[in-house]
Amino acid sequence: MTADEYLRAVLDSQALEDDSDEIKALQKHRADVEKLIRDNFKDTALTIRYAGSRAKGTMNKESYDLDIISYVSSGDNTGGETLEDIYENHKKALSKKYYVEPKGSALRLKGRDPEDLGVDFHIDVVPGRFTDETQTDAYLYQSGGDKKRLKTNLDIHLDRVRDSGLIDAIRVAKLWSVRNGLPIRTFVLELAVIKLLTDKKEKSLSAQMEHFWTELRDNSADLTVEDPANPTGNDLSKCLDDNLKSQLAAAAKRTLEQIGSSGWEAVFGKTKEEEKAARVEVLRRAAAVATPSRPWLPKA
Amino acid sequence: MTWQRDVPALYEKEKAEIEAHFPALRFVVEDDLVYVRGSFAVMFEAQVLDRYSVELRLARNYPAGLPVVRETGGRIPRYIDRHILDADGTACVLLPDERWRLWPVGSPLLKYLTGPLHSFFLAQTMVEEGQPWPFGQWAHGAKGVFQFYRELLKTSDLRVIITYLDYLAAKKVKGHWPCPCRNGKKLRECHFDQVKDLREKISRKDAERSLTILKAAGTSAIEMTEAKPTAPITQS
Repeated sequence: MTADEYLRAVLDSQALEDDSDEIKALQKHRADVEKLIRDNFKDTALTIRYAGSRAKGTMNKESYDLDIISYVSSGDNTGGETLEDIYENHKKALSKKYYVEPKGSALRLKGRDPEDLGVDFHIDVVPGRFTDETQTDAYLYQSGGDKKRLKTNLDIHLDRVRDSGLIDAIRVAKLWSVRNGLPIRTFVLELAVIKLLTDKKEKSLSAQMEHFWTELRDNSADLTVEDPANPTGNDLSKCLDDNLKSQLAAAAKRTLEQIGSSGWEAVFGKTKEEEKAARVEVLRRAAAVATPSRPWLPKA
Repeated sequence: MTWQRDVPALYEKEKAEIEAHFPALRFVVEDDLVYVRGSFAVMFEAQVLDRYSVELRLARNYPAGLPVVRETGGRIPRYIDRHILDADGTACVLLPDERWRLWPVGSPLLKYLTGPLHSFFLAQTMVEEGQPWPFGQWAHGAKGVFQFYRELLKTSDLRVIITYLDYLAAKKVKGHWPCPCRNGKKLRECHFDQVKDLREKISRKDAERSLTILKAAGTSAIEMTEAKPTAPITQS
C-alpha cells in the first residue's frame, strides 16, 4: 500500500455516510434544536442552517461537532433588540431542553435530563443577525473578550473551504490535530492548511501533508491566517499565538520523524480494513484447526 | 432423573474440568437442572478472539442428551440463518445425528465446549465479520437431515435413506429383512455390518426424529434431492 493509498484508506475509515447512525443522530438533533428554536421565536424570521464541517464536507468520524447557525433577519427585532438579547434569548430557549454552555459566539448544548446529564452532544448553535436584506453578512455576539460584536459571513467561510481543492488535506490535518491533542480551532487549522498548500494542489495527498508539516516545523513562527469574511475586523492572531505555534511545530517535527523512521502507519495506525483483514486471517487460522462442525436448525 | 445427584463424581469431574479450562464459566444447579453460565471465550493459540455470554442447560438424562445452548448477550440476531431459534434464543449447534462424530456419548463435556460449541461461536464471529460459515452449514429442517444422510450413505435416493432410518429407529433389526440399499438381497447378505455400526453411533431417538422430519417433508422430496450442503471453506 502506497502512502496515498494508506491516507485514502484512513479517510475512508473516517467518512460519515449520509445513512450512517452518526449522521442520522445528528439530523435528529438538528431537527429537535430547530423545532425548539422556532417554537420559541414564533414571530421571528429566522434562517437556520448547518455550518461547520457538516456543511464543508470535512467531517471525520473520530471527532466532529454539529454547528447550526440561527440568524435573525436584519430588520427584525422580535428575536431581541440587541445582539446580546438575541444570544440570550436563544440561550433561554435552548435551556428548556439542554444544559447550555456559552462558548464564544456559540452556545454548546449538553444533556440536562438525568439519563444524559452533562453529556456533550457536540452541537454548537450560533445565534446572530444578518447585517442587511441580502442575508449574507451577519453580526455575531461574542460572550467573551473585549469586542462584543463580530462580523462574519457563513457562505464565504464555507466557500473558502469547499472551493479550496484541499478537502482531503484538511480532513487529514484535522485528524492529526485531534490525535495529537492540539488546541487549535478547526476554522484556524483549515485556513492554515489552505494557506500553506494553496500552490500544492497538484501534489499527491501524502506530498501535501509532508509539505504542510515541514512548513509547520520550520516556519510556524511566521504563520498567520486571516478571516476571509472579515480580514480586517476579526483578528485571529490570538487563535494562533506563539504557544500554539510551538506546539504545532513540535507535533509536526514528531510526525515527520515517525514517517521517516516507521512509515505512515506510525502516524495514524492501521486502517480499519487492515485491522479487519488481520482479524479475519486469525479467525481463518483458528477455523483451520477447529473441529469442523456444521450448525443445523430443526425448523425450515 | 437428577444425574448430578445420582452420579456426583461425574458432576464434580465435569465441573472441575470446565471451570479450569473456562474460568469465566460457572456451574449452577437450579430446580434440579444443571446450568453452565458465563462468558465463553473463543480461543486460538492462547489468545481470546472473542467472547459470548452463554447458558448451557445440561439434559436431565446427561450425558445421553445434548445440552440446550443459548447466547444470552443478545449479540447474535435471532433468525434462522444464524442458527438461533427466534422463540427462545436456542442455538442449534449441531445436527444430533452427527453427534457421534463430534462429541460421542460418554465424552467429557469439555470436549463439547472445545469442539462443536467452540466451532459454532467461532463461525458466528466469522459470519459477523462478513465471512462465510467456515465449516459450511446444514440446510434447515428436513433438507439438512437429507443432506447429512446423503453424505453419510452416499446416496441421493430418499427411499433408501428412509429405509435406513427405519432400521436405525427399530428396536431390533433382523438379518432376513431386505437390505435398505434396495438391491434385492437380504440385510445379512449385504449392508448388515454398516447398519449395525450406524445403530451404535446414531441413537434410536435421533433416528426416529429424523425419520419423522423426512416423512413429514413428503412432497418436497424431489426438492430435497437437489439440495446441496454448503461446502466448508478452505484456508487461503
